[in-house]
Amino acid sequence: MKKLGILLISLAFVANSFAQKKEVQQGHTNQNKFKQLKDEFATPTDQRTASGAPGKNYTQQKVDYVMDIVLDDEKQKITGAETITYHNNSTDELAYLWLQLDQNMRAADSKTPDIETDNIPEKLSKAGFNKTFSKEAFDGGFKIMSVTNTDNSNLSYTINQTMMRINLPKPLASGATFKFNIKWWYNINNHRTDGGRSGFEHFDDGNNNYVIAQFFPRLCVYDNVEGWQNEQFWGRSEFALEFGDYTVSITIPDDHMLGATGVLKNESTVLSKKEQERLATAKKTFDNPVIIRTQEEAEKIEKGHSKKTKTWEFFAENVRDYAFATSRKFIWDAMAVNINGKTVMAYSLYSKEANPLYGDHSTRAVAQTLKTYSKYTFDYPYHKAISVDGQMGMEYPQICFNPGRPEADGTYTDRTKYRMIGVTIHEVGHNFFPMIVNSDERQWTWMDEGLNSYVQMLAMMDYEKGYPLSRGLPKNIVDYMNGDQSKIAPIMSKGDNVYSFGNNAYGKPATALWILRETIMGQELFDHAFRTYSQRWMFKHPSPEDFFRTMEDASGVDLDWFWRGWFYTTDVTDIGLKDVKKYYTTEGDDEVVFTEDASEGLGFSQKHKKYHYEITYNKPGGLVMPIIVEFTYKDGTKERKTYPAQIWRLNDNEVTKVFSSSKEIENIAIDPDLETADVDTSNNNWPQEKVDKFDKFKNKIKG
Amino acid sequence: MKTKYIFLLLFIIPLLSFSAHKYYLSLTQIKYKSETKSVQIIINVFMDDIESALNKDYNIDLKLTTKKELKDNTVYFKRYLKEKLHFKIDGIAKEFTFIGKEYDGDLVYFYLEIAEINQFKTIEVENNILIEHFPQQQNLTKCKLGEKHKSMLLTKEENSAKFTH
Repeated sequence: MKKLGILLISLAFVANSFAQKKEVQQGHTNQNKFKQLKDEFATPTDQRTASGAPGKNYTQQKVDYVMDIVLDDEKQKITGAETITYHNNSTDELAYLWLQLDQNMRAADSKTPDIETDNIPEKLSKAGFNKTFSKEAFDGGFKIMSVTNTDNSNLSYTINQTMMRINLPKPLASGATFKFNIKWWYNINNHRTDGGRSGFEHFDDGNNNYVIAQFFPRLCVYDNVEGWQNEQFWGRSEFALEFGDYTVSITIPDDHMLGATGVLKNESTVLSKKEQERLATAKKTFDNPVIIRTQEEAEKIEKGHSKKTKTWEFFAENVRDYAFATSRKFIWDAMAVNINGKTVMAYSLYSKEANPLYGDHSTRAVAQTLKTYSKYTFDYPYHKAISVDGQMGMEYPQICFNPGRPEADGTYTDRTKYRMIGVTIHEVGHNFFPMIVNSDERQWTWMDEGLNSYVQMLAMMDYEKGYPLSRGLPKNIVDYMNGDQSKIAPIMSKGDNVYSFGNNAYGKPATALWILRETIMGQELFDHAFRTYSQRWMFKHPSPEDFFRTMEDASGVDLDWFWRGWFYTTDVTDIGLKDVKKYYTTEGDDEVVFTEDASEGLGFSQKHKKYHYEITYNKPGGLVMPIIVEFTYKDGTKERKTYPAQIWRLNDNEVTKVFSSSKEIENIAIDPDLETADVDTSNNNWPQEKVDKFDKFKNKIKG
Repeated sequence: MKTKYIFLLLFIIPLLSFSAHKYYLSLTQIKYKSETKSVQIIINVFMDDIESALNKDYNIDLKLTTKKELKDNTVYFKRYLKEKLHFKIDGIAKEFTFIGKEYDGDLVYFYLEIAEINQFKTIEVENNILIEHFPQQQNLTKCKLGEKHKSMLLTKEENSAKFTH
């Protein structure tokens, strides 16, 4: 027994040492780039279906406002009173309501400056120093005067920075409405010196141009995705708002010209006879803007400073917000636009400082936007769209504030012109995203900015042949995507938390859509799916999944890999040519033999009937993308071949593909038209290009 | 309260970031070429921004890409880059030669070269382009040494990078 015991021990010892040498393979989860996005997407419900459409039990709140607004031009102050009717269309009982107090972002106790880091600058200009270090702090923010029930009794509320909770006397049942009043005032910021998405611009002669928005306490969105969307307004990530009807009266100096959201109800009281006649002409004029208040008239009016006031009355049906612009400096022109048989008005309001740039292009840009966007989404449902010389770029329903002015002598460069037209198209385009396709910009900036920046490109191309596109083209996102990875966030990030906001939320998603349309899906499939999404979510609140799902559902193109790579990661495209081998064939009795031609380059050492190339493509980049290859033959003719992205499904690093031809190839190029945002094109050619951009420039200089 | 007022200046620009967001990004690409024994640098900046900075700093009116474009303006670009961009190779400051500039859409490209550089270990870049006038400016600086690519996003707070072979 003893011997057996020793034997067993030694056996165990051997087995053990054997086990130590042997490596046990570790498993892994599904890392395939084509794995469906089931883990990332929310589970479909009867409110939001798996197809990406609103479900049969989809609900949405409605909020109606009746407002009385007074602008004090002497003190640059807004005073307002509103009655809000909140319709609880959800299936939930609500114990409280949340309102947004956006102006509080510029209140003295705002935390917005506190979350920004800063340091002492090396030097400042004297003017800059004086402005920064000796300026009185601006007394901004809403001054809430009263919050009351309809019987004027006080209604309990709690303010948390830019958010206000209304503590309902009793919970609001599903299907019930709640009506209450708020009175407030605030000091308007000078947006030219202090920034902002609204405010006034001051002129030396005492005049002010007002572009007014976020001027009233307004309801937060309550939905089945976020509950209450009551994330603070820090200043960057914009707004999530409910639709409703607005009855608004605005009292301003009686010599001001005003533009606002909604249908003007008292045209005959606020416009002169002459202006009413010109407006009637404009409503029938589809080819050129008709001037309703001329520069000459405006210049005369701006010299006086009337102390009298006038009240403008508007009704806006089914809008998500409200804004207006007013000044005695405003020139006004108008043009009718035919949207599939319906007449929509394109308006522009601008001071003489913006003319002739605005006179030349503003209203035409508005009209083009309405036409192009209607073609790719849905017919513009409102009656008008206004572009205002607001010297910023900011959008509201039916009205937006735009930049760009000519030189003092009235001339302007192409850069000024295209920037002004580009921003105007962008801001008017926001009428579609998010004013109508009402995504949540507080959380997902890209859903309106990215989609809008993409359609903007189509409208710019329609505006003028050869319009210089910049943002949105794949080659123009390369510098950003190929940047410092520690400072890049995926598109699926909250706007407040990304490093390079313009590239992250505007440029990259616009490029992604451009690539889907031009390179991955094709125009027909893409356009149908994009239109389906727009129409499904018109006047509703889509989430990212609703967009991603609809684009697939309506096109029959699996795009999970594309969303995953472009929207959920910061991966880049880099596809290269790793190796090319050449073969010719010789025929035996019952087989064909391939023999390699080992000579240098792509040429063969002898003539053959058919030339076979075995090409190895590698992919240093993390993104999977189609391989677009252009073969240039020795006779100068070219041939294209595109391998779908799915070619990478079984090997994410490199793939080999045979290309056969009856002609010899001279050059092979990947992505010759720069369609894929390939971050390193130095490996895109075979034979490899030896001369880089620097050498080319230096050679050019030398002549 | 002093710090509060600094905010005012430094955050005017961020609050100006509206919906048609303008972004402040330049790109500096540095590459060492052993065959020419030189460090080659390509920089691109937005034309509007560089024009506005130069106009303010040198009290000129460049009017780039127009018929009235200021003649012989290269001298200002050269001067600006010499002021804002500094290189050290293995710890020793090196001057660059301004090869030239070209316009491409809304961008201006600059080509610079540091000649007669044999092997080295480190290259340091201090990049202050446009930072004074645009506090939000980000200067992406990339370096290719051999097969090694490295990127750094330089800002007002962090304006220099060191790349190692």
